[in-house]
Amino acid sequence: MRLTISHETAYHYEDQVRTSIQYLRLTPPDNERQQVLCWALDLPRPVRAQRDPFGNILHVLSLEEPHADLIISARGQVEIDPTCEAEHDTQSPLPFLRFTRLTEADDALRHFAGQHCGPRRDRGALIDLMAALHERMLYRPGSTAVDTSAAQAFAGGAGVCQDHAHAFLACSRSLGVPARYVSGYLFDNDSQHMASHAWAEAWLEGAWYSFDVTNQLALPERHLKLAVGLDYLDACPVRGMRRGGGYEQMHASVLVTPTLQAQQQ
Amino acid sequence: MIRTFYDEMYAADGQLRPHYREFARWLANTPPELLAQRRREADLLFHRAGITFTLYGDEQGTERLIPFDTIPRAIPASEWRVVEKGCIQRVKALNLFLADLYHDQRILKAGIIPAEQVLANEQYQLAMQGLDLHRGLYAHISGVDLVRDGDGSYYVLEDNLRTPSGVSYMLEDRKMMMRLFPELFAAQRIAPIDHYPNLLLDTLKSASPLDDPSVVVLTPGRFNSAFFEHAFLAREMGVELVEGADLFVRDERVFMRTTDGPKAVDVIYRRLDDAFLDPLAFNPDSMLGVPGLLSAYRCGNVVLANAIGTGVADDKSIYPYVTDMIRFYLDEEPILKNVPTWQCRKPEELSHVLAHLPELVVKETQGSGGYGMLVGPASTKAEIEAFAQRIKARPAAYIAQPTLSLSTCPTFVENGIAPRHIDLRPFVLSGRETRVVPGGLTRVALREGSLVVNSSQGGGTKDTWVVED
Repeated sequence: MRLTISHETAYHYEDQVRTSIQYLRLTPPDNERQQVLCWALDLPRPVRAQRDPFGNILHVLSLEEPHADLIISARGQVEIDPTCEAEHDTQSPLPFLRFTRLTEADDALRHFAGQHCGPRRDRGALIDLMAALHERMLYRPGSTAVDTSAAQAFAGGAGVCQDHAHAFLACSRSLGVPARYVSGYLFDNDSQHMASHAWAEAWLEGAWYSFDVTNQLALPERHLKLAVGLDYLDACPVRGMRRGGGYEQMHASVLVTPTLQAQQQ
Repeated sequence: MIRTFYDEMYAADGQLRPHYREFARWLANTPPELLAQRRREADLLFHRAGITFTLYGDEQGTERLIPFDTIPRAIPASEWRVVEKGCIQRVKALNLFLADLYHDQRILKAGIIPAEQVLANEQYQLAMQGLDLHRGLYAHISGVDLVRDGDGSYYVLEDNLRTPSGVSYMLEDRKMMMRLFPELFAAQRIAPIDHYPNLLLDTLKSASPLDDPSVVVLTPGRFNSAFFEHAFLAREMGVELVEGADLFVRDERVFMRTTDGPKAVDVIYRRLDDAFLDPLAFNPDSMLGVPGLLSAYRCGNVVLANAIGTGVADDKSIYPYVTDMIRFYLDEEPILKNVPTWQCRKPEELSHVLAHLPELVVKETQGSGGYGMLVGPASTKAEIEAFAQRIKARPAAYIAQPTLSLSTCPTFVENGIAPRHIDLRPFVLSGRETRVVPGGLTRVALREGSLVVNSSQGGGTKDTWVVED
């Protein structure tokens, strides 16, 4: 499946921002599942790409001149292999056993994980866990904030994809299965629509397998990966700080079109 | 249980140890009123110099003077040479361990340390994986905490590889003694330590591949308990003292805001924990760090001393393996002993610990500053019971050690002079070579019988002498 993507994020500030700096993880990497055919960021000034601690492609945009608007856009074309089930990795998965503030497993989460997986530590067990979390935590935009932890969202019984992913990570790690946060895009076949999305990956038998709690998908057939990390903070597409600016308005739009391909057969 | 303590000044038979001979003669000949007057003078001078220490967990945020005791802790030079060699050996091995851990992980592959214990440790920083540092050095400044057991042999209690503090007290205590009692320094050969700031600056500069790098000291600010020391060291080295807000990152380079415009910064002696260095990469709530610093660091455009991620090597859960590291990396036998340690993460060691709590010292693997520990022999039954519950809830977070005797040194107390327990923190500088200024910081537990020397727990300091014998 070949997708053409255009993602624009526009910030408007009430006052002039004196200086700002952003960590941008808006460039998908090549991997077993996805091949980037072309990709470009359009930024107010040219920025070199580097690799972040998790191997993600990172752009650091620093602006020292006063500005009231900031537009960050990414566009490109990606080929996805929807049949690819897992991604192999040569790095040790063990660092992904550790909890962070956002993925701390409290007693409730530990109990929940134990209840649904018992002694099982295979893909089937985690699929059951994913389904159970989906049932337990309603998808309800606005019920949580970006700094809501897995335990808080779980206790509240609702959240968005970020909370679903965090809760899954907390459970999986509490079972001793390394798991990581994934940020990326989800393509919706019905509405020809794509949105920023988050899901989880767990390490099973030497590879990373996907678990999308929000959509109950264990096969990332409609997912384009941007970045991975221990939690949202490591992998989120834009993380920035500014001086001045006052109130901020943010508008994001993602457009995707499946590219028609000449019949190969 | 009867314990025998090793006293630094007097042998078990009451005989004066030879390296204290000059001091004892002087003490006997000095009128007590004069000594008392000098001690008051010292208090006044320390107050005036603003050498204070902010206590954590104190509602008023009290600034307290760290009590200074005028009876020095003396070490014979021949003995010091062994301690010095031992500290250098240890810090070399720890630096090699960090370089290995963030590259090939030979020690994990060899099965000497369980991989999960290191890699799943919160102090292991993925940001350092595969990153090459100049000279392969991670801990440029280290403090090795030493104590002496009943027979006088030195044990390493812990290594401090993150932001070890206390060196300003070492330097100020010496200045004070020389000012109050110059005659003592004329009567015998006491190794000088006043070149420490020069060595520190040299070490920091040698951490950069540049010929003449610009160096700054990064402090969390005046509310930090060690702010005095940050300002002191910056002044002594003649470099800028900055807070996070004084620095900024542009195009993966670090600059300092000055009245003459931005000035490039090459080496940052940071006295700020990893988690606060860059709010865009670590703790997002940190107001103390520099946004973008990690990107500049990973591009090799700035040196951080110490490096990020050194905490995994001084973590108390890794401590039991340091002697193995020395054998593995240096192919040498450890010169300094480790205290035998039970790891509560191991079920069989946990049950031993729980059964022997009244005799043991239990520490949190992530704790420091003497907070969150249990000293079995000094605790009530209820305290021990409560602590046992905490251990059972999170066994991996605790280690236990036998209660060491800790040597004593005569100390001025309310009613004259009495023995009090002490430890020693030599400061090890790693650059072109690995160096230690003679002695270090001696901390003293001022409460009778107390074994906790931390200044946050009522400890004081003493001048530390290496005396030519």
